Amino acid sequence: MSAIVVGGGVNGLVAATYLARAGRKVVLLEAKDALGGACATTTFATGFKGPTIAHALTALDPRVVAELKLARRGLKFAVRDMPTVALRADGKHLVIGRDVRATARGVAAHSRADAEAWPRFRRELFDLARAMRPFWWDEPKRGWNLPPTIATLRRQNLAAWLDSRFESDAVKAAVACDASGLSPLVPGSPLLLVWRGCQEMCGLQSAAAIPLGGPGALVDALTAAAKVASVELRTGAHVADILVKDGAATGVVLESGEEIVAKRVLASLSHSQLLATKAGRSALGIGESTALERSVPAVASAKVLLALNAAPNFGGSPSRGRFLLADKIETFVTAHAASRAGCMPEELALEVVVPTAADPALAPMGQHVVSIRIAPLPRHLAGGWDAAKAPLAAKAIAALERCAPGLARHVTAAQVLTPDDIAKRYGEEDEVTVERVMSDWPSRILTPIKGLFLCGAASEPVGAVSGRAGRIAAAHALREAAK
Amino acid sequence: MRYDAAIIGAGAEGLAAAALLAGAGARTIVVERSERAGGRATTREFHPGFRASPFADELPPIPADIYWALDLARRGAIFRPAPVSPAARRFLRDVERRAADIRARAVAGIDSAPDHSFFSRPAVPAPWPGEDWMALSLADVLAREPPDIAAHLATAALSGSVADPYLAGSALHLLTLPRSGFVTGGLASLANALVGAAHEAGADISLGHDVTDIRHAKGRVSGIGLADGSEIEARAVISTLDLKRTFLSFFQWNALPKEIVHAVGTFRMAGAAARVLFALDTMLPDAARDRIHVSSDLEQLAAANTVWRTGMIAPRLPVTLRIVSAADAGLAPLGQSVVTATLGAVPFRLFDGAWTREKREVLRMQALAALETAMPGAGAHVIAAEVIAPPDIEEALGATDGDLMGGALAADQMLSAGPWPDVPFPRCPLKGLYLAGSWLAMSGTCVAGAAAARTVAADIASGTLK
Repeated sequence: MSAIVVGGGVNGLVAATYLARAGRKVVLLEAKDALGGACATTTFATGFKGPTIAHALTALDPRVVAELKLARRGLKFAVRDMPTVALRADGKHLVIGRDVRATARGVAAHSRADAEAWPRFRRELFDLARAMRPFWWDEPKRGWNLPPTIATLRRQNLAAWLDSRFESDAVKAAVACDASGLSPLVPGSPLLLVWRGCQEMCGLQSAAAIPLGGPGALVDALTAAAKVASVELRTGAHVADILVKDGAATGVVLESGEEIVAKRVLASLSHSQLLATKAGRSALGIGESTALERSVPAVASAKVLLALNAAPNFGGSPSRGRFLLADKIETFVTAHAASRAGCMPEELALEVVVPTAADPALAPMGQHVVSIRIAPLPRHLAGGWDAAKAPLAAKAIAALERCAPGLARHVTAAQVLTPDDIAKRYGEEDEVTVERVMSDWPSRILTPIKGLFLCGAASEPVGAVSGRAGRIAAAHALREAAK
Repeated sequence: MRYDAAIIGAGAEGLAAAALLAGAGARTIVVERSERAGGRATTREFHPGFRASPFADELPPIPADIYWALDLARRGAIFRPAPVSPAARRFLRDVERRAADIRARAVAGIDSAPDHSFFSRPAVPAPWPGEDWMALSLADVLAREPPDIAAHLATAALSGSVADPYLAGSALHLLTLPRSGFVTGGLASLANALVGAAHEAGADISLGHDVTDIRHAKGRVSGIGLADGSEIEARAVISTLDLKRTFLSFFQWNALPKEIVHAVGTFRMAGAAARVLFALDTMLPDAARDRIHVSSDLEQLAAANTVWRTGMIAPRLPVTLRIVSAADAGLAPLGQSVVTATLGAVPFRLFDGAWTREKREVLRMQALAALETAMPGAGAHVIAAEVIAPPDIEEALGATDGDLMGGALAADQMLSAGPWPDVPFPRCPLKGLYLAGSWLAMSGTCVAGAAAARTVAADIASGTLK
């Protein structure tokens, strides 16, 4: 075996396929019975299918789609260019689409000055994004320097940055939703927006896309591509530890006791998960380990799926959209502060998608699925998450009810995944920090152990379904093999 | 008569600038709105026999060279070092070193002199001493200190201000820690000494005159207009007020370039200080000379910050107490004492309206409760109390939003990262106008004034100022 890929999520599949296409003998080991990780379609109520975690693809790397010929393997999009709709309680919903002028007209309902500022803002954001793309998308060439505009941005916080560009809360909150991983008061938080700008710029998926059949369809296409490239796919293979000899990875040992030998191991682990392995602990210095132990995220997200027996009515806005619920930037500020303190935020910020609006096959005729992502939330809630499961769902439904009156009456079933549930299923995430966003690929992918590469979503600047980490980790591994 | 320099505001910065400029031979006038010079360096009788400095007990240190150049010792500004708890001393040395670095840069004008030479211009701006703190939180920086010291230092750094100690960037507040200590006789002695220095150097000091506008044409400043309709012509105008006050109240907005109004308009203020002065009819334990931080807990500071942002008064504000009469017995009658309470996280704009008498009463009760916590039984001896709310500070000192720091402490608003990166302080895009608010070098007193004086003198000498 020339390479082992641990973890069968999107990035694991991508990495394995790239390695196999380069002629390596690759085995992919997935602990669970199904591939896909956090990118999956689940049946949460009889007849209702919904996205488990990721509900809209906003960052899928177009090169992965093209190079692995995913379209040929069955990847079709139900909707590719979902506009972002900021829902307002007063009914003046703000539709942000790719058409700058149409968006500006919508913004004008909130503020004339902001409507004028909108095209300028998009230009500025995309200029920044264009400058940063080589850094985030590829391995930047030697001598590539951070643009000075980015150095300035590192000092600024998102709240101030948006305040100096827009005046209406609606616009500022809608924009800030895409950078909700960090408190808008943290210096450098606008960089998350620039990162999003990079994803949006690529022509293929643009703002947000939903595959036909849910996110699981992307995994199916990737699996097909992996099979064609003759990757050996093994599910139910729980890796117990990574074997290390003389500071270099030599393979893995499964829980069954079986040892698989390979020169290169690509693991879709977060740094904190790597630390939890014996190999990781012994390879990392004490300083690094304690620093990592301390960096357990304080802020996480939750996922709620609702089954509805009628179409949700968001007061005249298109139902195919990515709906955002957040009143103002302050909502994110207080939610982050509360989350860090382990308290439930008073106001929740929601990102809502109605997958059935684009893909009616996911629910029985005439019925609908509403997928809600709630972030930021405390990773550890005072009193524990188990007791807060129902109140969280109730709170989210109540918040939705304000913008879609009558929705609560139609809810027939619900599934709630709290931050605890998500961490238990997919492992502890790494914290989003400005340093992580601004770190280069080698520092995120390479490990102190020779031949061991990290290729999971945690090795992306910002965790997302993109496949980019897998693609770059595979390239690194191949390059090392060529030496 | 045409002056070389007209200085708006006779606070420590304005007076230092006047003394240094006049000493260098420039015809200088200081115009002050109030009848008394000194700005925040004032001491007044708030109850018969009891005196206190209403806005601050101490100021950041005056650099030694300025102190001796202005001969302040001979003029009666004698500092008594602020007592420091031994456990925090090691940490404070690092803070003091960084703060002194920033002071030195501001005085030398390193951070303020534009460098037009093509070859010597660095591609990346040189890091300033707080650079590594701009992305760290107070909690990060203090993580290695023992918990009680960490809490003490965090509360001290945030005394009279507000920030979430867990939020990146809050570490910058540590730069406000260095204090000069008390001036014997209260801060007014410092003001008197500076007035003496300015007079002796030949500067005019005009008290009780309200400046209404800064005269300018074609991007060049020509003097100031007063409330009585008169005008003072000057080649240079130095404003010691904060950025917002300077540009938004002395100019017609539409007469200024749009970019200036925008940059100033989006500059963030963070007024959060209130003070309560207590007169007590008893002697308090002499041991408690250092500041006493009631409520030193990072979680509580974070919670107070959240409440502050909503425009409400937190149920337990962070309070710093100081028995000023223990360090300077002359401030209270024999056998009695003066205690000041500095409250942080007090919003300037309340969500439900104006600062009424009831709202001020809330501040008094919270300060009283803190006093009672720190010194049980002391509350019963309070014979008089005066509350100074954020709007009072704005009214008295002209500090926008009652922000004594002159702006929110943040990496994108400090030093070289000011609103005009191409025109470093004390200069600004308007020719002939110089900024010398205390906020420009928040870790030193008289530093911004000295830097402005030096720059004006240099510009006069080089003929830039006609």
